[in-house]
Amino acid sequence: MRWATRASVHVDRAACAWLIRRFIDQAAVFVFVADPDEVPADATAFDIRGAQLSHRAGDCSFETVLRRYDLTDPVLWDLARIVHEADLADDRFDAPEAPGLDVLCRGLSMVAGDEQVLAVTGVMFDGLYEHRRRALLLGRDPA
Amino acid sequence: MSERVEWVLLAYRIPREPSTPRIAVWRKLRRLGAVQVLDGLVALPADARTREQLEWLAEEVLDAGGAATVWLARLGSAAQERALAARMAEAVAGEYRQLIDAATAARAEPDAVRRRTLARLRRELRRVGLRDFFPPPEREPARRVVAALAELVEVRR
Repeated sequence: MRWATRASVHVDRAACAWLIRRFIDQAAVFVFVADPDEVPADATAFDIRGAQLSHRAGDCSFETVLRRYDLTDPVLWDLARIVHEADLADDRFDAPEAPGLDVLCRGLSMVAGDEQVLAVTGVMFDGLYEHRRRALLLGRDPA
Repeated sequence: MSERVEWVLLAYRIPREPSTPRIAVWRKLRRLGAVQVLDGLVALPADARTREQLEWLAEEVLDAGGAATVWLARLGSAAQERALAARMAEAVAGEYRQLIDAATAARAEPDAVRRRTLARLRRELRRVGLRDFFPPPEREPARRVVAALAELVEVRR
């Protein structure tokens, strides 16, 4: 399936792309557009104005995708806490990890194109997922 | 400021009732440091982040049954731009002054309390920094006072 989002991806789009490829559509192909009007007819848009899979009622797009696809994995919702604060910094959640994730993604997009940002952040989110999975099992941060 | 800034504007109207979404939008605009140009018209210097944030807010206004459009704009004269920037600088200057007062007062706090105050002030300093588009003279003193408080906490560790 084809998925479309805004070019110059930042944390919310990078996290959504990772989520889509890992949990929704392993064969996902991503298209990057400058304007919502450029979304191809056969593509599902995310994190772009007017799209279903976008910011909704105070949620960031990552949270919207989790809800829309009934993903209830508590580890994913723990990642959502971090992604939400990295993207919106509205203090809805306590996420000390968020400012770091925010600058890492901003820095990456300064030196890498969108495809490469997704490749790098893909591994990063794999690692973050594993870290939070172990943290939830242990009840504390793993060493 | 010799170079002219590109601005992103949000023109919006949101129903008075229910008040929850109206207040939520207002709070988010404040957090972003948007300056009110007129009733229902706010501005921020345009960059990828501010544009995106105002576009999401526009969606939020539409969802609440209001009307909203996002514009990219340039002021008609350098003088108008200076005036707008000065208003924004004055708003964050007030926040820096509060930080300076709080950090100064915290020096007299018991050690454990002071540690918590320091964490809070550092967080606050970072937040204010995000909406500090035209840094006022108060910025450096605010950073220095918080750094000095950190040194005091460090010495007692």
